[in-house]
Amino acid sequence: MYWVANAFIFRRGDSPIHILDPRIKLLISIELFALSLISSTLIHIGISLAAIFTIAALAKILKRVYRTLMFSAGFSVLIFVINFLVGYSIITSFVLAVRFVAIVGSTSLFFLTTSPDELEYVLRWFKVPQDVVFAFVTAVRFVPVLMLDAIQIMDAQKSRGLELEKGNFINRIRKLAPILIPLVVTAVIRSSELAEAMEARAYGAVKKPTSLYTLTLKKRDKLVGIASIMLFTTLLLYFLNLTG
Amino acid sequence: MIEFNSVTYIHPAGVKALDDITVKFGQGELVAIVGANGAGKTTLVKHMNGLLKPTKGTVKVFGYDTTQQTVASLSRRVGVVFQNSDHQLFSDTVEHEVEFGLRNFGFSHEVVKQRVDWALRFFGLNEYATTSPMMLSGGEKKRLCLAAVLAWDPDVLVLDEPTVGQDLLNKEKLEQIIRLLLTQGKTVILVSHDIEFLWPMQPRTIVMSRGKIIADKPASKVFTDDSLLAEARLIKPQLVELAQRLNVGDGEVFDNIYTAKKWILDRFRCA
Repeated sequence: MYWVANAFIFRRGDSPIHILDPRIKLLISIELFALSLISSTLIHIGISLAAIFTIAALAKILKRVYRTLMFSAGFSVLIFVINFLVGYSIITSFVLAVRFVAIVGSTSLFFLTTSPDELEYVLRWFKVPQDVVFAFVTAVRFVPVLMLDAIQIMDAQKSRGLELEKGNFINRIRKLAPILIPLVVTAVIRSSELAEAMEARAYGAVKKPTSLYTLTLKKRDKLVGIASIMLFTTLLLYFLNLTG
Repeated sequence: MIEFNSVTYIHPAGVKALDDITVKFGQGELVAIVGANGAGKTTLVKHMNGLLKPTKGTVKVFGYDTTQQTVASLSRRVGVVFQNSDHQLFSDTVEHEVEFGLRNFGFSHEVVKQRVDWALRFFGLNEYATTSPMMLSGGEKKRLCLAAVLAWDPDVLVLDEPTVGQDLLNKEKLEQIIRLLLTQGKTVILVSHDIEFLWPMQPRTIVMSRGKIIADKPASKVFTDDSLLAEARLIKPQLVELAQRLNVGDGEVFDNIYTAKKWILDRFRCA
């Protein structure tokens, strides 16, 4: 559980990537996502992964990105097997499987380097309705809280003799009830308490709430943004074989 | 019974939660573990039934190294009741909640029936046997969690913050239960910030700070030591404060409300 938490949850950092404007981080993430999606050869996918790992290294989250990718590798094995069974060559099946890993990597880069607060500002900047922004950002904020709850519930039930590792597949699934029920109950209790607390603090009183910070692009953000667009366009032309 | 030998525990996130802890817990003891938030109290407790294994050093429970035992086998002898009742309750009825642990430990049907019946009566929950645990009040949920653990009769009972959210009546009931368990030779370990609750029971008191044990003394020594209390971010029990302000003398303090009352009445009558 700690392993999963480390792989997917945002932690504050002081890297050159962390201090970028969240819109630029989103732009880089979308570019990497697009490159991963159109990668069709081993070289393409290699370049996409190299770009992901370079940014992860700059953000000092190489280990965490690696964990995320290892987590998604399980699904990519499945993708490889299915593609191979339906008749694709080993190379193509491999590229498709690794493509999935690269897609996960490109999106997780954004979430691992962007705080829920920054995410909120980005969504507001895109003029997403306030209620949707609030619901989405709260859900993201609740992920680590729910994980901690899940760890505590598992500890409590293990202390009552529950052995999750024992038994066949069906039994193991059945044994999840003592974990899932308290988890859902505490989540529901917490969300209703949060709703009441928000209302008590005048949530929804005005249509367009103001905020403490506003997003402003600094010089470094503009430079990184332009550089990333140029690099992305070059790679896109190369990937699509349009370089003449 | 429970022995920690030079135990260090480093959290997966890299934080040192326990730092070279050596301590023993004997049979029939009442021990309070106190300290500021993040001092390592709950981490220490989680080593007692193997939920956490030491990074360095050894923890032995009834002579068994916890690294070689499952949580279930250790929990059979060391019952831990966690702070948040909502994290533990999941069954459709109160009696099924108590039954859960007993079934996991493989007790026979007859024994399960007897133990469930005993636990519900002992904790005054028998009238709610077929009620959903979610419908109980905070105090009743707490008692149910305690009943669910005591039902399998562990030798050691660990209570993590047992008085949080409890009213005075429930605290008194809890104190009575603890005293009763001690008369049965059980070891009771309390993790608590509630000094007023601990003081009348005069437990052996372990003070933790930044993952270390900074004191392991009787309550009368710990709660009268100003510098120790400041380091552990604790305040004195009111009875200690009262004795000191009344200048009872010779470092004496009131260990319960009755001794305080007697002293005040004697003094008043003399005057």
